[in-house]
Order: sequence, then C-alpha cells, then structure tokens
Amino acid sequence: MGRRLDHGESRRLTRLSGPTGEIARQWLWRGLALPGVLWLLAFFLVPFYAIFAVAMGGLDPIFLSATPEWNPLEWDFGTFTSVVGDFFAGPLGTTALRTLIYVLVACAACLLVGYPVAYFVSRRAGRRKGLFLVALVAPFWINYLMRMLAWVNLLGRDGQVNSALGSLNLPTPDWLAGRPVTVILGLVYGYIPFFILPLYAALDRIDSNVIQAARDLGAGPRQAFTRVTLPLSRQGILAGLVLIMLPMFGDYYTPNLLSGSPRTRMIGNDIDQFVNGTVTAGAKGASTTIVLMAFVALLMGYYLVSVTRSTREAS
Amino acid sequence: MAYHPRENWNPASRRRLWSRRDVLKRASALGLLLPGMNSLLAACGEGISTPTGSTAAPGTTGAPGSTAVASTAPPTTLIPIPTPQNRITQPLFDDNPMIASGLSPEAGPLKIYNWDAYLNPDVLLRFEEEFKVKTELTTFFNEEEAIQKLASGELAFDIWFPTVEITSKVVAGKLIQPLNHDYLPNLVNVWPWLADPYYDVGSQYTVPYTVYQTGIGWRTDLVDSADVENLANPWDVFWNSKYKGLVGLYDDFEETLQVAMFRAGIQDPTKAGQADLDAAAAALAELVDLVDIRYTIDGAYDGIPQGKFGLHHAWSGDMVNAQYYFPDGADTNGVLRYLWPANAPGSQSKALIGNDMLAVLRTAEHPVLGHAFMNWFLDPEISLLNFSWVGYQHPQVTVNPDSLVADGYVPDYMASAVVREEDFSNSQAYISTQLDPQTELMWVDAWTTAKAGV
Repeated sequence: MGRRLDHGESRRLTRLSGPTGEIARQWLWRGLALPGVLWLLAFFLVPFYAIFAVAMGGLDPIFLSATPEWNPLEWDFGTFTSVVGDFFAGPLGTTALRTLIYVLVACAACLLVGYPVAYFVSRRAGRRKGLFLVALVAPFWINYLMRMLAWVNLLGRDGQVNSALGSLNLPTPDWLAGRPVTVILGLVYGYIPFFILPLYAALDRIDSNVIQAARDLGAGPRQAFTRVTLPLSRQGILAGLVLIMLPMFGDYYTPNLLSGSPRTRMIGNDIDQFVNGTVTAGAKGASTTIVLMAFVALLMGYYLVSVTRSTREAS
Repeated sequence: MAYHPRENWNPASRRRLWSRRDVLKRASALGLLLPGMNSLLAACGEGISTPTGSTAAPGTTGAPGSTAVASTAPPTTLIPIPTPQNRITQPLFDDNPMIASGLSPEAGPLKIYNWDAYLNPDVLLRFEEEFKVKTELTTFFNEEEAIQKLASGELAFDIWFPTVEITSKVVAGKLIQPLNHDYLPNLVNVWPWLADPYYDVGSQYTVPYTVYQTGIGWRTDLVDSADVENLANPWDVFWNSKYKGLVGLYDDFEETLQVAMFRAGIQDPTKAGQADLDAAAAALAELVDLVDIRYTIDGAYDGIPQGKFGLHHAWSGDMVNAQYYFPDGADTNGVLRYLWPANAPGSQSKALIGNDMLAVLRTAEHPVLGHAFMNWFLDPEISLLNFSWVGYQHPQVTVNPDSLVADGYVPDYMASAVVREEDFSNSQAYISTQLDPQTELMWVDAWTTAKAGV
C-alpha cells in the first residue's frame, strides 16, 4: 500500500506538474547541463579556435615560431589554402589517401575480429562473462606505446615471431622494414579493445526475447542474426568504429615505431613533423589539423545523424 | 589582406611573416638594437640580415668583412644569422645586465633545463657534493617547446642547453643573460675555435657544451667497409641497392636534406634554391624503393647494434655510445664503424660539424651558482666524466683526442668518431648554420615531399 503524500510534497508536485512546473523543470535541467556546457566551451571550443588562430596567424619576429592571430579580421589564409591545395595535388594528398586506406582496412579488420569476440562475451560467455570482460579491459592497463614497443621486439628480424615462423619452415619476412601490413596490424592490435567494449555493451543490451521471437516466427539462426541481432547492434558498431577511427586518423607513433618508412607514412606523421620537427611550420601543422578535423567531422556527422534516426525510430 | 613581396610576403609559400607595422611595433617593443634603425627600416622593404661585423674564423675560407647573405637570398629575418664567414658579436641590452663580480653562489637549488639523457647524472651528484647544493633537472622534448615555455617568462631555470642555430634569437629575445667572465676562468680550457665562436664572438652569452659531426655508421658484418670508405662521395652509399632493407637516415629534415645535397655536390645547403631542394627531395624519395629507407632518431646508436640497420646516418656521439646497445651476450667484436665524409681520403663531399652550448637564463634565480656550474663544467675532469656517459665530447684543450682512445673512453675501432678542433677548419666541413624562416619553410615542403613515399 502506497504512502500518502504529505501536504508539502503534494504542493511541490502540483507546482511541477502545471505549465509553470514545466518551465521550472526545463530550467532545472538546463542548469544541470551548464557545467558540462562550460567545460566544453573551455576545453573544446577554445583550443579549437586556438588551432584556427595559429593556422591563420603569423610568425614571431624574434623566435620565428608560429604565433596565433586571435582577431579573425586579421587572419591570413595563405598557409591554410596552400595546405588545402597540397591535399588535392601535393604530397599531403598522397599521405592522406594512404591514411584513409589504412584506417578503413584496420577498421574492417577490427570489425571482423572484434564482432565475434563481443558477441561471444555478451551472449555466450555465461558465468565467465566477467572474466572475459577483465581480459578485454586488461590491455588498457598497459600504455599503448609500451605495447607497440613490445611488438618492435617481437617482430624484429631475429624476433620471436620470425623464430616461430622459422621453426615451422615458413618464410621469415622483415616485418619492420616498412611493410604496410605491419602498420595496419599494429593499428588493429592497438585499437581493437576500444571497438569491442562499446559493441559488447550494445549486444548485451539486446533483449534475448526479441531474438527468441524471431526464432519462434521461423527464422533460422543465420536469419535471426542478420535480421535481428546485427541491425540492433548497428549503433554499437558505429560507436566502436567512431571511437577507433578518430585516434587512428591522427596516429603517428604506430607507423613510427613499426616502420619508419615513407612508404607507410600517415597524415599524423606530417602534423607531428610540422609541429615538433621544425620551428617555423607550426601554422602548416595547425592547417593540416583543421583539414583532418573537417574530414573527421564528416564521419561524426554521419554518426550523429545515424544515432538520431535510430532514436527516432525506437521511440 | 594583401602583402607586397618586399613586406616578406612569399608567394611560394603564401605565408606572411610580419608586416611593416609589426616589424616596427615588435622591434621597438623588444628594444631590438640591431645595428641601427636604418637597417631596421631597410628590413621593412627588403628583409634584413644585420650582422654586427664579421671577421673570418680561423681556418675558414670566408673573406674578412664579408656578409653572409647574398642579395639573391630570400627575405630573411630581423635576427642576424651567424656563419663562420659572418661572425656575430651579440648585442648587449641595458635591461639585461650581467651579474656583478665577486658575488657568492646562491644556496640553490640549481635548476637545469636540458634535453633528455644529455647530462651524466654522476656529474650532477658531484656538483651537489662539491657545492653543497641541490640540483633540479627538467628536460624538454624539442627546442621549439623549450623556447615557447621560456619565452612565456613563467619558468625560472638557471642553466639551459641551447643549440648554436638559435643563439641570435635567444639573445635578441633576451632569454639568456650575458656572462660575467670573472666567474669563468676555465674558459681557457676550451678549444680556441670555440672559446671565441663565430655565433657569439667573445662568448658573451654562451660557452660550448659538446661537439659533434654527422657522418655514416655501419656494421662490418652487414656492410662491406669498402663500399663506404672507397667512394669519392661516401654519402652515395645510402643509394646502394645492395643494402636494401638495412639503410636508415635521421628523421630530421635539415640533416637529411643536407645528405642529399652533399651527395649532389652542393657546398652550402643554406644557399640551395628551389631546384636544388626539389632534386634533393626526389633523391630521397628514390630511396623508398631502392633500399627500403627508414627514418629514425635512434637508428644509429640503437638500431645498428640491435641489427635493425646495417648502415645509418650517424652523429659521432651516437656511434661512440652504440657499443653499449648490443643485445645482452652479443659478440660485438668491433663490428661498428664510423666515417665523417669530410675526412674520407680524397673525398670531395661536405659533411656537417657543430656544437651545442650552455647558457644562463635571464630569469635565473641563481645566476651566480649557474656561472659556477658552467665554469665547473669546463674543467677537463668533469668534461670527461660527462663524456663517458653522454658519448659526446667536450672541446677541451687539455684533453688529447688520441688519449680518449688510449684511455678507453672510445674503442679503437671507433677512433674516427673522435672530433678534433682542426675538423672545424677542414675545407670539407660544413658548419651547422641557422636557416632563415623562408628557406626553412621551403625545406619543410621538400621534406614533406620526400617523406610522402610516392
């Protein structure tokens, strides 16, 4: 039996349930969102604007380093347009195209390898689900750079991988001599946990009764998967892909550590070179970052549209 | 907004350096007393190079009194660019005085700002024991980062380790303070060539730290020494397809573009034009398929002993240290070799040589202690202690280069990596020189092309 509302509670509810209450509720939620909005303004928009200010800025006359121009009316678009031109008909375009291919191949590999793992853990692991989850999270305990350095030793000319291949009388390639496959596998290895976890969460949320209903209506296991499980896990796949694609596009240490060859250079290497390898090319680095961000924003846009559409369909 | 090319608007890079207004505003604000306002105003029209007098360094080929920058050079910088032919006496500023003589060192701690792994920790311990003070070592990743932080004025380090290339900038920007030589009696221990260096005549702001050459390192079990040493131009070895998969160059745009230019016979890379840079970029791009080139920073001292490379672009100090990077239990058996191409018999190719420096920062809270540290570092015994760990030599008069081998600091098979004072006067030596900003941007573009892996 429910508790009877006292007078005060009753008054408060009355106040919040009327039109005035609706307005109060809206302001309450806006107030709660305010810290987050301020956080975003401070730590996203301001640095974002700073990148523009550096890209369109000048050079310090003494130290010759890039100096931001905060007044947009004084912006100089010379470097930026030059960099955009380089993307279409210059060395940056070659590197950007290579980066795109590496990222797409690595994402496809993550999907092929990661989906079955996430599916197994969420739906088939039973009582050992916790154990598998710990195993999935375990790589996060070790720094990304450390894991890559471990691979440098494993993949060396006389490393353990080649020792194992040699013992099976298989060819022993020089994995670290500028091979695209090594860099792509490095990307897959480095980022796949970030793909699996959101996908696992999405698969775990699927009501098993829905799948059961599909089976009851005559769908075979394959049909139930392709027509029920896969569509319902689409948001998890997209979230995982977005999570891994964004850092992959800016990655420069994986190709640096596992290759060092121009043949496997990615766009992040160019940005690193402009910003860290020279004094005067900071604006080129910032401009390249803006172009990269614009491309990545397209991906984010697709993701947001997709999520909005799914939410609308679900409601 | 449009800029006239003479206002340092470069159509090639379409990059604005500064406007006439900026030049006047910023220069006057900073009290830049480069030789006369006439030069400064001239800069607004044509860009300036404003050396304060020039006398050729000993052993160099420059004509006394000559200025470094040809009239055809791209618009340059407010800051004079020192070269051995264009010796620079750095300006003194009223608002950046040197410390008075006769002061006692402060109680510390001595705050040091240095590159990573560029100072023997035992040296610091010795200094702490001897001067009864604490030391605090902070490292920076690259010089750009260091300058940005120091220019903010928020950091109060006492001692800094800048490179020669930025001397004029950090003096004009008043990041470092003039030195009082009363505290530096050990300066007499430094090679004369560097005790009165072209970049800071009279050592008014800096004292030399270590010296280095840039050459070629290799393993005799992977590379035939004759393929390096017998070449008329030893830099050619990097283009030898016989060593495919074994070749590495430094991931450093200046050093590596220089290799391609030295190979092409260019004597002074700072004067290289766009066609020279394009040719250098093309030659480096050719290496991708020819030898599976890889670019690294640790390939000489670590990659060669580990067997990742048989042949690598190498700083002399890296090769001295490489002996310690063989895998545990490996039989090194003297397989390492080093050649500075300028020293190769009959070689006509140029090769880089240079040095780094010590300076006391203007914001130093312990400047007297900083001078004491600097002077203490110029002591031969301390220099050797530091050399034994960092692998890079100090230019000490009292340290006979031959004794470095005899005393076991350098293995005999690596004797060629010992730098001598006369190397700076070698006719094939190319002294490390700052690029002007427009030229640097041209080099960056060439480097980006070379590394695109097309």
